[in-house]
Amino acid sequence: MKKVMAAVMLSMIWSAVTVAAGTEYRMRVDGLACPYCAYGIEKKLKEIEGVGKIDVDLNAGLVIVDVAEGTSLTEPQMKTLFQDAGFTYRSMTEKSLDESAKHE
Amino acid sequence: MGKRILKALGGVTVVLLGLAVIVWLVWIPSAREVGYEFVSTWGEPGNAPGQFHDPTGIAVTATEVFVSDARNARIQVFDFDGHFKRQFGTKGDGPGRLGRPMNLRIDGDELYVADYWNDRIQVFGLDGAPHRSIGKSGKDPGEFNAPGGVAVAGNGDLYVADFYGQRIQQLHADGSFVRQWGHTGKVGIRAGEFNYPTDVALADDGTLYVADGYNDRVQVFSPEGRFVRKWGGPFGMNIFGPFNGWFATVTRITLDSSGNVFVADFYNNRVQKFSPDGTFLSTFGSKGTGPGQFEKVIAVAVARDGTVFVADFANNRIQKWQPKP
Repeated sequence: MKKVMAAVMLSMIWSAVTVAAGTEYRMRVDGLACPYCAYGIEKKLKEIEGVGKIDVDLNAGLVIVDVAEGTSLTEPQMKTLFQDAGFTYRSMTEKSLDESAKHE
Repeated sequence: MGKRILKALGGVTVVLLGLAVIVWLVWIPSAREVGYEFVSTWGEPGNAPGQFHDPTGIAVTATEVFVSDARNARIQVFDFDGHFKRQFGTKGDGPGRLGRPMNLRIDGDELYVADYWNDRIQVFGLDGAPHRSIGKSGKDPGEFNAPGGVAVAGNGDLYVADFYGQRIQQLHADGSFVRQWGHTGKVGIRAGEFNYPTDVALADDGTLYVADGYNDRVQVFSPEGRFVRKWGGPFGMNIFGPFNGWFATVTRITLDSSGNVFVADFYNNRVQKFSPDGTFLSTFGSKGTGPGQFEKVIAVAVARDGTVFVADFANNRIQKWQPKP
């Protein structure tokens, strides 16, 4: 019985972790020039509730954002955000952070 | 027919060569000084004392070097040989806390920090004690949208490069607004307009020098606030390039004790030096990871004796240079 209970508990914990995995967004942006840009974008993204890790690759023109489960970033929202920050939004892809973790 | 085409092409070539010679003669000046030589370097990636995660600003006293260590949200202090002395600041937005510290300025016995994420100028004692903070987030007079650099006048007034505000603001020491240059939030390339200004410097007579970041130029204003001149590529109008006197993103401007102007030329991986009237004097630095090479020069400071300290951004280190004998 104890083994069954433990298995159920583990299953519940695993499910919770999976559900709470969130999403990774990768956005292509034109016009990133220096750390001032990178920090400016980080600052604006940080203001969105649920946004976690942010990576800005200046050379590749790539912004990678992890968000918590329940948070989603939309293209119109990102277009406006990057325009306000002085850059041109190009495209966005997304995948589950759980999926990302499996590939690592 | 073939001869005509050849003749026309020859004519075009001559015209282009002529233009290239004119550009060379008019807009690419030769060095007027012997320049600088590399002395030493310190620092590496990390978060321990003496290590950096994005060094973005630098300032010096007679004996110490202060460095903005942006992603570590701290200021580190070294002696002139690179020995670590102390550090202060932690991540956050309370008094004494920092959110991406950028360009630094020392005035008397205080350190002024452009606190980029927190939209304020923080003032510390040189020992690291937080003294006061000026400004808050916003677009109104006296408010900031990502300040990149600050200069301090003899009467205590502050001049602040408001990066996303696209303006330079002059404030009294208590933060009350005096005046501004540039149109709030609007990029411009004409004289008196800005394209993401990153830093400012003040001469002893009150002349204001602005690092007009993405316009790839320096702009100069008289003590009364009138536009005086601009330089950086042909006509100082957002034309970037690798030649003497041209820039590729300007991230820091500072003056030496003679009033000469030192500029951090970010993407050209070098420091350029000009006379107070903008005459090109010399340059040093090239791209790389070896001694005396840079991976993006983001900030520069000049000591009283002429020694130059440079924040080598992507190499996460500081370099020390001195005038050639």
